[in-house]
Amino acid sequence: MAATPAREWTGLQQFPVATQTALHNILGKLRQRNKESLSVLVVGKGGVGKSSTVNSIIGERVTVVSAFQSETLRPLQCARSRAGFTLNIIDTPGLVEGGCINDQALDIVKRFLLGKTIDVVLYVDRLDGYRVDNLDKQVIRALARSFGPSFWRLAMIVLTHAQLSPPDGVEYAEFVEKRSGALQAAIRQEAGLKKSEKDVPYVLVENSGRCNTNAGGEKILPNGTVWLPVLVERIVEVATSDTDSVLVDKRLINGPNANERGKWWIPLLVVAQVRQTITIFRHGKQSRALEYYSILDNVR
Amino acid sequence: MAATPAREWTGLQQFPVATQTALHNILGKLRQRNKESLSVLVVGKGGVGKSSTVNSIIGERVTVVSAFQSETLRPLQCARSRAGFTLNIIDTPGLVEGGCINDQALDIVKRFLLGKTIDVVLYVDRLDGYRVDNLDKQVIRALARSFGPSFWRLAMIVLTHAQLSPPDGVEYAEFVEKRSGALQAAIRQEAGLKKSEKDVPYVLVENSGRCNTNAGGEKILPNGTVWLPVLVERIVEVATSDTDSVLVDKRLINGPNANERGKWWIPLLVVAQYFLVVLPIKKAIEKDLTEEKNQRSQWEIRAEEFRRNTSLFEEDQADEQAISQALQQDELVDQMDSFDDDDDEEDY
Repeated sequence: MAATPAREWTGLQQFPVATQTALHNILGKLRQRNKESLSVLVVGKGGVGKSSTVNSIIGERVTVVSAFQSETLRPLQCARSRAGFTLNIIDTPGLVEGGCINDQALDIVKRFLLGKTIDVVLYVDRLDGYRVDNLDKQVIRALARSFGPSFWRLAMIVLTHAQLSPPDGVEYAEFVEKRSGALQAAIRQEAGLKKSEKDVPYVLVENSGRCNTNAGGEKILPNGTVWLPVLVERIVEVATSDTDSVLVDKRLINGPNANERGKWWIPLLVVAQVRQTITIFRHGKQSRALEYYSILDNVR
Repeated sequence: MAATPAREWTGLQQFPVATQTALHNILGKLRQRNKESLSVLVVGKGGVGKSSTVNSIIGERVTVVSAFQSETLRPLQCARSRAGFTLNIIDTPGLVEGGCINDQALDIVKRFLLGKTIDVVLYVDRLDGYRVDNLDKQVIRALARSFGPSFWRLAMIVLTHAQLSPPDGVEYAEFVEKRSGALQAAIRQEAGLKKSEKDVPYVLVENSGRCNTNAGGEKILPNGTVWLPVLVERIVEVATSDTDSVLVDKRLINGPNANERGKWWIPLLVVAQYFLVVLPIKKAIEKDLTEEKNQRSQWEIRAEEFRRNTSLFEEDQADEQAISQALQQDELVDQMDSFDDDDDEEDY
């Protein structure tokens, strides 16, 4: 749980000038809204590229990345500032390891976030994954249950390995649409988004060193887009949207206390019951008394 | 469960001449060994490229392939012949769908294979998968349990999506070695391979249309190898190895009957019990009986020992001597008679 103090965002300087300019403009919007810091939570299954994405955004190798085993065992918060604006990125261990939800990882993440506020959630998955299965849905459901309804309203899908060649007979754009559509549908279903709410937005990302670059040296997708500024822009869009940030407090972590639920019914019910009982007694006493005396009269 | 009758392997003609020649040579070896047909079973998780691999080998689009959903819902057997040699390839539905083992798919596969013989097993997975997790191990274990120990000795790993760019800082060869090594280790552990047995071999495959080709038009891997003949060659190697083919019969499907297990112990145990337990006890009882006849009874001996250990012993001894003397002198008899008279008087 290492929290690196807010250092200068030197990684920005590595980016090509065009990217730096774009990023400055985007962050300027946040400063205009008097938002001085931004907390971004990065979640997803294991081995999809969460740590690689964090490294790409920060511009330094802040987390260890390994292809064959999970390196991120604990959440890692990484803060960088630039011109008075601080970006907090929180990298987390994969929520799925070995074919089932890693409840321990989820727990560690919850504890780590206690007392912190989340402004944006990056849900990371591979673009070249072909199926959205029950496991993915379980992850989405578990996150919704753990952090409340605002969580997925602050989320965006990050699809890594975006520099892929699509399968035979499928165009790149069509593949992206289908893949992101499947994930969006799963989130809509499991997070309980209403029909009126928009789908969770998605961003394509290619973190490897062999990502193609344009003339200016910026990393581009197969369709020519420079992806890093797009990613940051979407993050800012979500951060400045209507949905309130999620403050992770003890109540959220522990979940609603089932004992507290509906307690206010108790006094109401007691009063209603008492009144009802008294009425019945009074009524009954009168009529019973009359009956009794009439019976007695008949007997004697 | 459509079984296409053995048609001419026309798909071969699509392959570049060099590939066709190589395949002819390889299949010739099988014919030399008087093997006229080969049954290849293709298994693996969902979405890894089993159907695509089958299509590549056959050279035609025999199974429907879709990126986003599972198309193969039932096993599909596809047979092609060429010059008297028949190749049977059996495509199966993914054994993992939705994050857990699809027991129904495993069951369907078992039923489909009833009565058939499997010569080679292709276990398919993606080369660009990064983790071998418990789910993979469960699949391996389920297959070992369902089809017996020979299953994994007839298997080879097929790694699809082989035309990948490895992650930063890792060379292609190193990546392939680590990825295949992880799968081989998992199979070794879950299938129970002994230390003396070799690892399951692996083959790289790139089924998509954008696979790079060499000058002769043959599909090649990033390291330049033409992969299709290598795949067929390995299949033939496994088919001609020492391990016997697996005949899938009812006993294999239903599994061992636990009631039958160890039944032969029963007569042995009965005989052993008779000789080791019954007879000795019988002898011991008989011995006791004969000994008792010859000796005083145990309780008399123990009573004497007990009295000997207490102070009453001497008094008792004196009493007994007096009694025996009195009996000899007949005096006690008279005394006992007088006791009888006294007793009568007390009655009311």
